[in-house]
Amino acid sequence: MSMNGGFPQPGSDPFTQFWTDFSQKMMSAGMPTPAPSPTEEAFGKVRQLFFESMSQHAEQFMRSEAFLSAMKQAMDNGLAWQQMMNQTLQKSLAGAQMPTREDANQITVLIRGMEDRILDRLEDVCRRVEVLEGKRTSGKNG
Amino acid sequence: MSTATSGMGSGWMPTPEQWMGWWQQAGQKMLAWPKIMEAAQKVRVGITPSRPVYREDRLRLLQYETDVEKAHKTPVMVVFALVNRPYILDLSPGKSVVSHFVNRGFETYNIDWGVPSDGDCDLGLRDYVLRYMDHCVDTVRERAGVDRINLLGYCMGGSMSAMYAALRPEKIKNLILMAAPVDWSGDDSLLQVWTQPEYFDVDKMIEVHGNAPAFWLQSSFMLLKPVQNMIEKHINFYENMENEKFVQNFLAMETWLNDNIPVAGETFREFVKYCFQRNLLIQGKLEVGNEKVDLQNITCPILNLVAQNDHLVPPSQSLPFNDAVGSTDRKTITFPAGHIGLAVGSRAHRELWPKVCDWLQERSESI
Repeated sequence: MSMNGGFPQPGSDPFTQFWTDFSQKMMSAGMPTPAPSPTEEAFGKVRQLFFESMSQHAEQFMRSEAFLSAMKQAMDNGLAWQQMMNQTLQKSLAGAQMPTREDANQITVLIRGMEDRILDRLEDVCRRVEVLEGKRTSGKNG
Repeated sequence: MSTATSGMGSGWMPTPEQWMGWWQQAGQKMLAWPKIMEAAQKVRVGITPSRPVYREDRLRLLQYETDVEKAHKTPVMVVFALVNRPYILDLSPGKSVVSHFVNRGFETYNIDWGVPSDGDCDLGLRDYVLRYMDHCVDTVRERAGVDRINLLGYCMGGSMSAMYAALRPEKIKNLILMAAPVDWSGDDSLLQVWTQPEYFDVDKMIEVHGNAPAFWLQSSFMLLKPVQNMIEKHINFYENMENEKFVQNFLAMETWLNDNIPVAGETFREFVKYCFQRNLLIQGKLEVGNEKVDLQNITCPILNLVAQNDHLVPPSQSLPFNDAVGSTDRKTITFPAGHIGLAVGSRAHRELWPKVCDWLQERSESI
């Protein structure tokens, strides 16, 4: 995981890095600062270079340890809250004698299990029939 | 922005004429709104007529209907990812991958996985690959009266197609993968970094949510390119909102992008754990329903389509596939497009898909 690849001045703060990178991009694209006469084309070019810099830095930031740790923490907190909500709702529904999502899932699992068992049995029966047919055919030929 | 180009101010500050020009332009664009709203109500996606020929649980196998005479014995079955809707491959006129095959006389099918409900959270890769996909393949074989079919897998559907082709090689005549990840060893993709076990507890997520929620998947994909998806896209729309053709394409794409569906919990868990985190597929260590997935079992002709600028499935995740299979007839086409551009880009439809059809035609028996 690269933490600082693509940054013009590793070690400086992200804000400075972003603007340094942006002005470098402007210079390499031949954009004078400030422009003597700002045309639509020049505005478009500046905007494009600005967004390119932003994208590059956003990608770098989203690979950084700080972002990943924050993402994990936010997700853990979100999941803990959701779990608490689920449990509360389940208890409330159970208290009101109403079926919960868990109950519906349970029924689906039971039906699937039953279907699997029936299909397995059918396959087993098919195999036996095939064996018996094979024996009968070989008996006739013999 | 065609007005107010004269420079009266100094530096980058806009001149009063430019400000006036922008206001006038904004006023003109406001007049385009009623037309845009009308177009938004008429958005049509999935243009090639189709009908379901097989159903199982929530799945529908669609066969595309056409007046074009069937020219090849071997049909094509398209397998899309479980994350979005499959009509991206048949989005709008001139942007339909499916129509290329249909117009060349291939009997073409597409799997619409349907939307998993909470009760489907236990469906795993075993169910999708060895049950649903296998039943669809058998249906297509039976309908076409052939032993082997052509398989085209896109994105996660490509990974699943690779798994299937390795597990049931006797049923596949040609395999085409389209931006399909098979090797998750690198860290080119942000998704790869985000799903590392130290930052992402997939077990906990599935335990709490049941399925991988659509809103969560949608926001993750959006965050991969935040500047493009949250700023540039809207500016681009504003600048082109008077262009009818642009608006139609934009709305069709937005319809698809916002039509996310949840992914069955167990499948999501297995995919993240065994593919993203442990990278078992390319190493030949992945097991689907107690059967080992050995890519060396794939001996049919392979066409691997790689999108050069793919931020979701970077080339490093797709390219190793051809070296991992047992086929001798294998080809890679790296095309300058993004992940979705491969399916809907004008250039892809002009240059890539005719080539893909040629490749398939050369390897298909004519009637």
